Amino acid sequence: MERTLVVWLGLSLSERISFLIKSGIFLSLCGATLFVALASSYPVVHDTLHNVRHALAVVPCH
Amino acid sequence: MLLGAGGGAEEKNIYLKTSPALGLLRPFDDPVNISLLVTRADGRPVEQGRVAIVLDAPKSGAFLSTDFPVVEGSRLLELVLPLRQGRAGWRYLFPIRGDYRLSVSVVGADGEAMAKNFVIPVLENRTKWLWLGLFCAGLFLIGFIAGRIFTVIPATVTKSWLLLLLGAVSSVSGHDGPSSIDNGATPSTALEITAATVGKPTRLRWRGADGGTATALLSLSITHLEKHKTVFAIDNVPVDKDYQLDFHFPDGAEYRVNSIAQVPGQMPLRSEQLVAVTGVEPPMTAQVPALMFFVAMIALGLGVGRFSKTLAAR
Repeated sequence: MERTLVVWLGLSLSERISFLIKSGIFLSLCGATLFVALASSYPVVHDTLHNVRHALAVVPCH
Repeated sequence: MLLGAGGGAEEKNIYLKTSPALGLLRPFDDPVNISLLVTRADGRPVEQGRVAIVLDAPKSGAFLSTDFPVVEGSRLLELVLPLRQGRAGWRYLFPIRGDYRLSVSVVGADGEAMAKNFVIPVLENRTKWLWLGLFCAGLFLIGFIAGRIFTVIPATVTKSWLLLLLGAVSSVSGHDGPSSIDNGATPSTALEITAATVGKPTRLRWRGADGGTATALLSLSITHLEKHKTVFAIDNVPVDKDYQLDFHFPDGAEYRVNSIAQVPGQMPLRSEQLVAVTGVEPPMTAQVPALMFFVAMIALGLGVGRFSKTLAAR
């Protein structure tokens, strides 16, 4: 992933910057997944995970 | 558990008793028997009178919300019960954790009034905290593994492919609560229920047959059909022509309201009505903190995973 960025940007990334980029993308994907699973109102997702939401005590539901 | 309060010109005392005891109350667990005892200063119960009861939900937390954020800080119950030998009681299922505020206003037969507030603490189910802890541990573990994969040690260059999948959330049977706006109630001669929506109290009104010429003993219950739990009930309350109360349905599900009125010398009058409560989506202000908390767990795992791999390479 970071090699693609290096080639694309023509830059040389340090390992630390590479880690931050990968972590940022990873956290974004995780956040989006969590949003769909625990906060979205799509009926299929909501009904499937309704009990999970309530079981976690801090996840709002209707 | 008994909580007492005294005051007023007539020196009445109001005692609150709950079963289970106050420290054992849990949200959506079992309906709680709540009873009030009103006595005079000498300890004798106030024979006649009525109590006006107002129950308010706990206020919103500082950061994380409960699973019913729309309920937080709202009015849950408002009703008037007659005193019988100084006692009045009802059953109620507390929907969320927190400190509930119960306001009791007693009006005796002599017209003297007295008011007192009680706080009813309801603790969260330990099982939910356990599931939350396990869920957070899982997120931390995912972050930990990703942190180790993303950390490239120069001497041992590894391929940093994203190997983690986030499909580990187990699915369980969802609820079958309808989200329709219609109040799917069947017509009833004795019960009148306004359109029920989460976030505001719903008025329930019972009317006696033919105008209710005689005093009836009314038993009324509200049952959560999905959870098969009684969320509110009163038993054998003497009423005249009609009786009404305000009840806040805490979630968008189906409920059944039953009433049985017993008039001496007559057949019991039974009524039943189904109520499809319109759910309200929780506000983003309640959803975002929980998501931030979970993402922070993953980020913490990332950091610890990187640190552990760096430490091992030294």
